[in-house]
Amino acid sequence: MYEWDFTAVIENSGLLWQGLLGTLAITGTALAFGLPLGLMLALSRLSPRKWLAWPAGFIIEFFRTTPPLVQLFWFFFALPILMDIQMTPYLAAAITFSIQSSAFFAEVFRAGIVSIERGQWEAARAIGMQRPQAMRRIILPQAVKRMIPAFTERSIELMKTTTLVATVSYADLLYQANELAQKTFRPIEAFTVTALIYFTVIFGLSLCVQAVERRLAVSGDSTVR
Amino acid sequence: MEYTWDFGSVWEYREALWVGLTNTLRIFVICLFAGLSLGLAMGLARYSVRRWLRWPAACFIEFFRNTPVLVQIFWFYFAFPILAPFEISALMAAALGITLNSAAFSAEIFRGGIQTIDPGQWEAGRAIGMRYREIMARIILPQAVRRMMPALTNRGIEIFKMTTLASAIAYADVLHQARLIASVNFNPIEAYTVVAIAFFVILYPIVRATYALERRLAKGD
Repeated sequence: MYEWDFTAVIENSGLLWQGLLGTLAITGTALAFGLPLGLMLALSRLSPRKWLAWPAGFIIEFFRTTPPLVQLFWFFFALPILMDIQMTPYLAAAITFSIQSSAFFAEVFRAGIVSIERGQWEAARAIGMQRPQAMRRIILPQAVKRMIPAFTERSIELMKTTTLVATVSYADLLYQANELAQKTFRPIEAFTVTALIYFTVIFGLSLCVQAVERRLAVSGDSTVR
Repeated sequence: MEYTWDFGSVWEYREALWVGLTNTLRIFVICLFAGLSLGLAMGLARYSVRRWLRWPAACFIEFFRNTPVLVQIFWFYFAFPILAPFEISALMAAALGITLNSAAFSAEIFRGGIQTIDPGQWEAGRAIGMRYREIMARIILPQAVRRMMPALTNRGIEIFKMTTLASAIAYADVLHQARLIASVNFNPIEAYTVVAIAFFVILYPIVRATYALERRLAKGD
């Protein structure tokens, strides 16, 4: 029978907190770049101009159908050879997850924009608005509200995917857990506590999403997935 | 900077990549079948009238949905062997993590699919004297599975992408093999580009098929 002993893990819990901060930092960076990039990709994909719509569609489909770990390895090991830059684990992770999440966010944006009734476009045109104006002032403000649940769900998914950065030794929560396990020779406790921390943070966020969804349902607006 | 692409060095090691691809397919098939079957069982348990079945199923689903799959794989690889009385290979640890994670996600798909079936179908089944099990197997599931097909195919695609995580614990999947080739030949660009393209070429036709399936179901239902 195995004897559980959490004292060594608790004594070194500072490592895990640093790791959690690392996880939050990379998630935040990816969100900050991924959201605007995703909007741009969605608008390009919906554009009537083929030379804009096609490349955007390709980028979205490519980054959605290749494994994020392959992308991360590509940016970490291959990109520095093609371009003369100093690659760090943080930079590789930031590039990978910004682009990867933007491909998924683009589809959320697109679904939201497409879900707005045609009449709204026609009304905008009737009062003399151009397409960009109608998009900015009429369509997007309505669409964004419907997209909120899908966005938050995607962001949670992003946070879970950021664990991959541990494989290129960026000090996120999972990497720190590994360090802790090697330092204390207590892998069971270290990885169990880490799993519980992830669960607490992510489950807490999921509960918030559900609350927001219920609130949006009360306000009588449908949401998109 | 000018870079001369040289795919010849990858081509020379095509057998290593091929071995990796078969390993990727092996873990994919294991996780797909085990994950979907366990997912169905969990979905049914979660929908059960018996509380002692419903509660543990709900806990299992929420726990595995809300923790990253790589954490689960690491747990099974580094922590579980100390608790388990037997040896755990990288394949087993990765397959366990991915299977349990996929089971939790597909349980929700099964539950959702079963709940979309009209209650009248249950009543009709009961009216002609069928038991719960018979109604589920003969009436509800056949209709539900049809509606769940797009979501289940998406899960399958996700599982295929997830198998690359096994390379993090040195299981010799296609990504791990590419990493080996890159370190021997100093050609990470070509090695990883080939793997990325391989995944895209394998998965994109399936993604297109899912879109088509979704459209057809949307029309038919």
